[in-house]
Amino acid sequence: MLKDITLGQYFPGNSFVHRLDPRTKLLLMSAYIVAVFIVRNMWLFTLVAAYVIGVTAIAGVPVSYLWRSLKPLRFILIFMFVINLLVTATGDTLFEWWIIKITTGGLRQAVYISLRLILLVSGTSLMTLTTTPIALTDGLERLLSPFAKMGFPAHELAMMMTIALRFIPTLIEEADKITRAQTARGADFETGSLIDRAKAMVTILVPLFVSAFRRADELAMAMESRCYHGGEGRTRMTVLKYTKNDLKAALSMALLIGIIITVQAVA
Amino acid sequence: MIKIDHVTYRYDEEHTALKDISLEINKGEMLAIVGHNGSGKSTLAKHLNALLLPTAGHVTVEGMDTAVEGNTLNIRKKVGMVFQNPDNQIVTTIVEEDVAFGPENLGVHPEEIRRRVNESLKAVGMEAYARSAPHMLSGGQKQRIAIAGMLAMEPEVLVLDEATAMLDPQGRRDVLDIVGRLNRERGMTVVMITQYMEEALAADRVIVMADGMLIAQGTPREVFSRGRELRANGLDLPPIAMLRDKLIDGGMNIPADVITAEELAEAICPLK
Repeated sequence: MLKDITLGQYFPGNSFVHRLDPRTKLLLMSAYIVAVFIVRNMWLFTLVAAYVIGVTAIAGVPVSYLWRSLKPLRFILIFMFVINLLVTATGDTLFEWWIIKITTGGLRQAVYISLRLILLVSGTSLMTLTTTPIALTDGLERLLSPFAKMGFPAHELAMMMTIALRFIPTLIEEADKITRAQTARGADFETGSLIDRAKAMVTILVPLFVSAFRRADELAMAMESRCYHGGEGRTRMTVLKYTKNDLKAALSMALLIGIIITVQAVA
Repeated sequence: MIKIDHVTYRYDEEHTALKDISLEINKGEMLAIVGHNGSGKSTLAKHLNALLLPTAGHVTVEGMDTAVEGNTLNIRKKVGMVFQNPDNQIVTTIVEEDVAFGPENLGVHPEEIRRRVNESLKAVGMEAYARSAPHMLSGGQKQRIAIAGMLAMEPEVLVLDEATAMLDPQGRRDVLDIVGRLNRERGMTVVMITQYMEEALAADRVIVMADGMLIAQGTPREVFSRGRELRANGLDLPPIAMLRDKLIDGGMNIPADVITAEELAEAICPLK
């Protein structure tokens, strides 16, 4: 049944990685992205990959989950690999036929780009695998709150994300109900050309939108009744606290980046 | 506690939802406002916590006029409201986070919020679901969460705006039991807006509305003994009162103020 869908790709657990403060994970992920982009050395790529696999092991997330997150990326990966292979023309020529010319520089570039993409996606999905969407939203709000003084709508964004997360299952369930109701009235969603099927979808979307607006209206009223008046003066029940574990995680990332910078500066 | 003074409310030029209503809600009472669809009962409810402001007249909560903007938050802190659709009043994806939403808005200290959340969930018997996702709960359970969310704000009045209308019989019973208990044990003032006449039987006082006007009020016994008058306004009676009137019409000698099954049984076959 559609009702039982899990949101995002959270892999439940209580490991060292799961228990890290969401803010730490967000910050470390940003640092990790930088690390992946500054690496220009095959050995260091191996080191970064080892780091990702290490974190995966500590989190107790099966490697197959990382693999699954890469799957939708396969066409982009192949495309990027081929383009870089053909376009870059530096170093010795390895192979030449008609207008195709493959060079050592091109090969290196293609491999690096692909590795970067793979590491980027697997590393970041590691964060969404070990953090609930609501914790991420919370972490994001608190990280961005210093910018609120400059007019950045940190609280509003977080509230929007929370409400979206809350209502996705409700709306999916409703779409399911409307689909069945329309099917019972003779609507056909399965046969016909693509255009016919798209047209049939209108009979689902219109009632769904109408209902979503009604819900939004009622929710706004319920929130007002509960004294919601924006982020100002609002407290939270759960207070995020950095622990020693967060420090350890940060140090490991600092070490990784330190090694990358030193090795590349020497080479 | 709450004073409604000659309140008129117009949606627009042609539609007047409330026509010169005056009413006082006393501390600690359980008040039921009944009426069929379009009678204005929900509109009246939304005046109690400043969601709607009267076109003419005044609503005051403990002396605070709802029309004064500076009073709004304080009024909403005192008057909690539970709505009809359980889905559309839960804001977050975890039950206890949702219960915490109200006190968080009020800027309550985190430890105090935690205490209130635990206590409120216990009061509605939902403490086992503290970490659950709201969309996995039944309608009755969601309504209990909504009530807990209100209790966590420690209001003095609880307004249920047709809060049982979308629930199955079991969910309805659970919600009514909880509300009855809050009224008896904590002295919480309860205003129940409903179209189920039998729910009004538990109230101390019943107000009947039709077409934006207050047409009858009194104890459930007083109100429901005026069956014919209510039916003339398109309202149903509680089943027992309906049976009573049928029996009287059929020529049986039964007092016109019978409203419970026990009383009716007693009237039909009295002990010698």
